[in-house]
Amino acid sequence: MSVSGLYVGHTKGIEMIFNELKRLDYVVVGYKVEEDVLKLRELNSFEELASGVEDVQNPGRYYLVRGKFSRHGPDSLKRFFYPPTLTLFSISPKWDMSMPDYVNRKIAFLGIKPCDLVALKVLDRVLLNVDEYYTRLRRNTALIIENCTAPGNTCFCATMSTGPRARDSFDLAYTRLDSRLVLEAGSDLGLRLLSLLEVEPIDDSTYRDFETVMRKASEKARAGFELSELPELLELNIGSKAFKEVAGKCLGCANCNMVCPTCFCFDVLDVPKIDGFADRVRVWDGCLNFTYAQVAGGHFRSDLWARYRHFVLHKFTYWIKQFGTYGCVGCGRCITWCPTGIDLRESVKKVLRGDVDE
Amino acid sequence: MSRASASLIPMKTVITRVRVETENVKTYYVRLPEGVELPKPGQFNMLYVHGVGEVPISVSDVDADSRAVAHTTRFAGSVTRTFALLKEGDIVGFRGPYGVGWPIELVTNKNLVLIAGGIGLPPLRPVIREIARNRSAYGKLIILYGARTPKDLIFSYEYREYESIPDTELLLTVDVPSEEWKGNSGVVTNLVKVVNVNPDETYAFVCGPEVMMRQATQELLRKGFKTNRIYLSLERRMKCGVGLCGHCQMGPYFVCKHGPVFPLWFISKYFWVDQI
Ligand SMILES: Cc1cc2nc3c(=O)[nH]c(=O)nc-3n(C[C@H](O)[C@H](O)[C@H](O)COP(=O)(O)OP(=O)(O)OC[C@H]3O[C@@H](n4cnc5c(N)ncnc54)[C@H](O)[C@@H]3O)c2cc1C
Ligand code: SF4
Ligand code: SF4
Ligand code: FES
Repeated sequence: MSVSGLYVGHTKGIEMIFNELKRLDYVVVGYKVEEDVLKLRELNSFEELASGVEDVQNPGRYYLVRGKFSRHGPDSLKRFFYPPTLTLFSISPKWDMSMPDYVNRKIAFLGIKPCDLVALKVLDRVLLNVDEYYTRLRRNTALIIENCTAPGNTCFCATMSTGPRARDSFDLAYTRLDSRLVLEAGSDLGLRLLSLLEVEPIDDSTYRDFETVMRKASEKARAGFELSELPELLELNIGSKAFKEVAGKCLGCANCNMVCPTCFCFDVLDVPKIDGFADRVRVWDGCLNFTYAQVAGGHFRSDLWARYRHFVLHKFTYWIKQFGTYGCVGCGRCITWCPTGIDLRESVKKVLRGDVDE
Repeated sequence: MSRASASLIPMKTVITRVRVETENVKTYYVRLPEGVELPKPGQFNMLYVHGVGEVPISVSDVDADSRAVAHTTRFAGSVTRTFALLKEGDIVGFRGPYGVGWPIELVTNKNLVLIAGGIGLPPLRPVIREIARNRSAYGKLIILYGARTPKDLIFSYEYREYESIPDTELLLTVDVPSEEWKGNSGVVTNLVKVVNVNPDETYAFVCGPEVMMRQATQELLRKGFKTNRIYLSLERRMKCGVGLCGHCQMGPYFVCKHGPVFPLWFISKYFWVDQI
């Protein structure tokens, strides 16, 4: 929640925020251009923060062009709090076990989007106070949000009520209006950052501009379906042929699971060493992987369509039953990063329409 | 839903006894690490083999005096095959007990039909033991058990003991009979048809391969069993046992912690769905 109301400043304030976070000993993480993709990386200097680029996202397509506003790349906060590989323990031939040092870094995320903020809140439901590693890192987090003035073509945060404007749980949220910056503090840290900047309470005309920009963004970021009754309707259509039709294009690569900021499934690998030591390593897994539901001598979801159906139902139906929230925040990553351009929004609509050729 | 912190780190313990059951099944008695509660019938433990992996195995017996817990294991894949090499005195890792067990308290003064297929008998054995120990508290006990061949029947050395429990019936069947086999042949679900009980006074506990459980459930429903009288122990891929890794999901349920034992009415919306 906003603790400050809205203020107006200048975009150069972002750099001051960066410097202050550094001074407060935060590792500052933001989107940086690497190999023509926006990647969430530790920023050593403010210049590394992506600027002057825009990410064009379409089903199965991602590229950067010159532009004013960028959104995100395949990385999300998940990779920082819940790393792709984590050694649970190492064990000696004599059964002495050693656990990894859980780092206690203070991490500040700068310029992340509202959908990713909500994705972190979803992960909190699943992992906070449950996963020790996640919990330790999560406790020392600062979140500086950049509201989305120009959602991308695969975004549907407005439908999922996760954007384009961050509503709560941030330290500071800002919105770019040309060279002006509309700011809002959500915590003591946010107030402190705000107090360093040259700002004034928002005036009427800037407020109207802000409202207009947010409304337009919100109109763009729609999925074409509504949430009301969606969980139940999807479940009622669990036998829909639409899942089979959509999955006809699916490769089972699990890219969608990997880029999803809320997918939390893991597998565990045992890595024996030549000297008799061994590691148990937790690695990301996804329900689209063939082995995901395989058991000795059997398979619960050997067909790809059934695995795809599980993905969709988990995001929009099961998650609510399990954790009281949707598992999807409408970031569109699974659509952009699907090699065959399978569009989750279209899949849901197909199932809801139920008008698939038999 | 509030959730408690869940450890994925096994505790070190020792195998106190190994018993050969069939050609590819052995029972491993493992000492319960200090501070670990005694498992209840239908619960399972995660057993870790150094450098090889970790698997969920049901509790097939509990020796409260020596705090040893039996795990009757079929050598099926990469981890369980290395179980075959384990001996008394070997060290294994232990996490558990996990899951929701059989609702034995519900069965007081009622009849009980146990339906087991293959490696589905071990998780039901503690139920048989409990009824034998406390015979007057329960009604009639009927055990239906099927295996692939006569050689695959687990715990055959104690069937006499089962039959000597008052008011108890044991019916066996095999898919592929041998020359000497004089008993029933065919799938275990055929036995359900011949059972003579009043479905209103009877519970059924079922454990076995998923196909077998579906058929058994259909037979029970046909006999008039209500969905709150049928309990199933589901099997899913499990990697954590504590509702974290996602693998064991059946619809919205994490089989490891919401189950593995479910009343049919709980899961009936999903149970019949193809490849759920
Ligand atoms: C609640 C529960 C109780 C069980 N009780 C028993 C028992 O009492 N006796 C017995 O012999 N078997 C039991 N099983 C099955 C046993 O866990 C599998 O046979 C075993 O995991 C196979 O592992 P593997 O590495 O040898 O095979 P692989 O096929 O190499 O398996 C690789 C991994 O997949 C998972 N996996 C594979 N098969 C299964 C499976 N059938 N069920 C769950 N996870 C699986 C395991 O996590 C395993 O590490 C039980 C399974 C569950 C879920
Ligand atoms: S399911 Fe797709 S759109 Fe939804 S949060 Fe995951 S990656 Fe984003
Ligand atoms: S990314 Fe696309 S092709 Fe790959 S598993 Fe997901 S839906 Fe299928
Ligand atoms: S075994 Fe990991 S969630 Fe159930």
